[in-house]
Amino acid sequence: MKGKKLKSGEIENALNQFLKDEQHLVLGFKKGEGGVGHQIFKGSLDHYSLVNPLFGANAALYLRRLFSKGLKVMLMLRPCEIRAYVELHKLTQVEREDIIAVSIDCFGTVSSKEKKDDVPAEADKLTGYFQDKDSMRWACSVCRERRGVVGDAGVRIDKSGNYWMVPYTEKGEDLVSGMEGEFEEVPAEMLIPESAKTDKFQIDMETFNKDFEKCIMCMNCRDMCPVCYCIDCVFNGDEYLPKGDALLNKVFRTGSTQMPRGKDLFHLIRMYHVSQTCVGCGACEEACPQGIPLTKYFKGVSERLQGVFSYMSGRSFDEPIPYVTFLEDELKDAMD
Amino acid sequence: MKTGIFICHCGHNIKHTVDVKKLSEYFKTFPNVTVSQDYVFVCSEPGQDMIKDAIEKEGLDRVIIASCTPSLHGPMFKDVLRKSNLNPFLLRRVSIREHCAWVGNDVEANTEKAKRLILAGLYSSAHHVPLEEKIVDVKKSALVVGGGVSGLSAAIFLSKMGMQVHLVEKKSELGGHVRTLKGVWPAGRDGKSIVEDMVRELEGRENVEIFTSTTITNFEGFFGNYEVTLNTPQGEKKLTVGGAVLAIGFSPFDPSIKPELHYGKDERIITTLEFENNSNTLQLPEKPRVAILHCVGSRDEQIGKVYCSRVCCVNALRVGNALKDNYKDSYVESFYMDVRAHPKGGEEFFEDTQEKGVLFTRANVGEIVPTPTGVIIRGEDTLFGETFEREFDLVVLSIGMSSPEDCKLIANTFKIALDKDNFFMEAHIKLRPFDTAVKGIFIAGTCSGPKDVEESINHGRASAVKLFGLLNLGYTYVDPFISYVDPKRCSGCRMCEHACFSNAIKYDEEKRVVHVEEAACMGCGLCNATCPSSAISLRGYIDPMIDDEISGFTEAI
Amino acid sequence: MAEDEKDKNPEIVGFCCSYCTFKASEMAGSLRMKYPEGIKVIEVPCSSRVDPAFIIKAIVEGADGVFVSGCHPGDCHFIKGNFYTRRKIAALKEMFDAFSMKDKLRLFWVSASEARRFIDKVTTFYNDIKEKNNEREKA
Repeated sequence: MKGKKLKSGEIENALNQFLKDEQHLVLGFKKGEGGVGHQIFKGSLDHYSLVNPLFGANAALYLRRLFSKGLKVMLMLRPCEIRAYVELHKLTQVEREDIIAVSIDCFGTVSSKEKKDDVPAEADKLTGYFQDKDSMRWACSVCRERRGVVGDAGVRIDKSGNYWMVPYTEKGEDLVSGMEGEFEEVPAEMLIPESAKTDKFQIDMETFNKDFEKCIMCMNCRDMCPVCYCIDCVFNGDEYLPKGDALLNKVFRTGSTQMPRGKDLFHLIRMYHVSQTCVGCGACEEACPQGIPLTKYFKGVSERLQGVFSYMSGRSFDEPIPYVTFLEDELKDAMD
Repeated sequence: MKTGIFICHCGHNIKHTVDVKKLSEYFKTFPNVTVSQDYVFVCSEPGQDMIKDAIEKEGLDRVIIASCTPSLHGPMFKDVLRKSNLNPFLLRRVSIREHCAWVGNDVEANTEKAKRLILAGLYSSAHHVPLEEKIVDVKKSALVVGGGVSGLSAAIFLSKMGMQVHLVEKKSELGGHVRTLKGVWPAGRDGKSIVEDMVRELEGRENVEIFTSTTITNFEGFFGNYEVTLNTPQGEKKLTVGGAVLAIGFSPFDPSIKPELHYGKDERIITTLEFENNSNTLQLPEKPRVAILHCVGSRDEQIGKVYCSRVCCVNALRVGNALKDNYKDSYVESFYMDVRAHPKGGEEFFEDTQEKGVLFTRANVGEIVPTPTGVIIRGEDTLFGETFEREFDLVVLSIGMSSPEDCKLIANTFKIALDKDNFFMEAHIKLRPFDTAVKGIFIAGTCSGPKDVEESINHGRASAVKLFGLLNLGYTYVDPFISYVDPKRCSGCRMCEHACFSNAIKYDEEKRVVHVEEAACMGCGLCNATCPSSAISLRGYIDPMIDDEISGFTEAI
Repeated sequence: MAEDEKDKNPEIVGFCCSYCTFKASEMAGSLRMKYPEGIKVIEVPCSSRVDPAFIIKAIVEGADGVFVSGCHPGDCHFIKGNFYTRRKIAALKEMFDAFSMKDKLRLFWVSASEARRFIDKVTTFYNDIKEKNNEREKA
């Protein structure tokens, strides 16, 4: 694979160059007083930060229903955000034409819930900071893809701290060509290695019930999920909730009756709905006021379900979502 | 909501294992159930009147009929609602006969099951909405596939009743197997003259179009207006027909599948068909020794053909009879399991053959071995329990009928089902023996199972009558079970569009929502199951209906 | 049915394609074949109409097992519906497996003529679940 080794400051230069056009925007990170956060830059960069060690939210959430209308938007985001963007593109929730998606090598992030003031914002210091595994969000510690290898192009960091810009699509090719430097072979080993394989997720309903006992059905997890894109969720209505008269009917027929909880259905059905598109970013867990270990379930289940079709959410623009396609000769053992 | 529940005894059929009285009493306690009645035969005239009266008197807006399976009496019960000015889609059928009374013996358990089934129907019916049935013109033309005796007789009848008939035959000549028969039992008439009479009758008619050497490449659409694509020697041809009669016949069983018979390896081992066609050129000695084997390719579990082919016993008898007529001093021995000479006059024919001197030995034949001096048959006499070995000059195999070679192709083209023996399957073996599960497609003759010539002709006519009845009405109702989109809920993700294999879903770039092209929608409901927010739903099978049906079963509500 | 016995008998919900398995179940009925009364079927126009949400709902509401049954691959009345069913159910099975309840979901292919196969499939399913439930009770 070929890419360009960049001089320090070249990324900022290139982005500033890009922003000179009135119609161009950059969605990236800004170093502010309260830490690093998502920012849309117009005109020029300002306190730009390439990496963001605070999770906050998955920026793909903001991209839903983004149809650029002639604007050009450059995404300078974490791999999980770019992957969610790719999935949203497959779901026609965001257009691809005028968006350039660049994924940046990610060191991991700190949960917003335990935000610490001592988190450095510089890439070179983050490796050291995250030596202590406990300081990283659990979702990041088991992340499937922390390398900037998705989207149109990627920003990679090699072992001696040099930045590389690597194109993956034609659009990325155009972007990288315009930057200073020569194309050369990208080193095989980079600072951020390929993620280790995690164990197959295995749990039982008793543990599930115990974990979700705390759920208050605030549905924040759904609202903050970057790939839960429905305008009107099925759980907004009363379809899956018990109806009063029916419940009374049952009480009179069968005697004392436990109230159905509804939340098992909500989580299990949502788990199935996002099973092929979930990128395992853990935004749901970040949003949960009750501290339910949602990532464990959603990421675990979705990885297994994607594995059935050798699919990985957000890996490529061209792979169709498995539920809307099929092969005639497959899954021989699905039948009993 | 005012629901009326009518529970059928079906004479003794349901009442026998389901406590119908208990059921009707039970549902009377439901606040939204206005009428709950049980009746001996809900489908009878008084039964229908009972429903009509209840609708009119009580002002019912939902009707639940718990009786036989929904595919039976469907149109009739719908008509009852129509006549009472109630939309027929407010009717809910609950199957408590095929799916309850007949599949369990325990009265208490069955009653409990029936209760749950009706409960599920009751909750589900709350989501029924009046739907508009489309009335579509039916084209008064029929496709007849196969030019054998059943196809010909169907075509003649339909043409005489004034329907346009398109007869398609794969071979270059009409007549099928009967054309090759020398003397069709019992009248002994030449098969060729029988079919030629029929063909002449057909060819003289204006409203008949005959396509020989023609195959069907595509068949699609719905009853009343099926689109057919033919591959004729003159090139591709497209037709629109109201319905079709399939009469593609059978394939003679090929005895070489059973290697122990040595068929095809020695010219002294022949089939009944070959005997019929070449009886004059056979080189037999003056006192020939001939063996006749019954049930070759029938009632044979080893090759997966357990059915009786029904025609081969008479064929075997005819061979024995002919031999005794031509060679007075011949030794003819028939090896049989049972002699099933069931057609009219068959038993007399059997006795006649025995009197002429044909020997009948009940036996299992193990193998046939050709030797230079003669053909040796080894087997076991099942009456005496002894093994035997005898030498003959000629062995005639009375072969049975196998499913037609094109059965899978035709079944796929017309989307009809095959039975376990690969013959076409009837919609109901007793009540709808000529129908298939697809409306307007009928089966005739041996393609639905072995039949003799007489039965095939009758079967062809009967199917033609059934098709005529449907076509002659001139119109049909189209089930409105197609998908529709709630544009307010649609996120425009186009998942349904990608999944839909009939290209019925179109995306609106402007509004960023999808809509359904009603004419193209086949009504499978895949889109409904694919949409995560259920913004697209299949009429008649919407989510809440199925959700509440589940809840009824699990007693969750 | 006595109350204690009732607890042991599995409740099974089946989704049957109206063109094949539902016809097979009708035929099984007309042939007076027997199967346990815990098995209740829902008619759907095509097995592809079965939203995995229905299956999850049935399980959460207390069904001991759910089966989905359609036409053999390639025989779908709607041409390709059952291929999608196969994908969805295979995925859902994997999900059930993750929750250690793989045995609660099955996918069958039963054509309209296979009444005997229908009976075999559902009865085996029923007996397997019953055995599992009994084991659990003992443990």
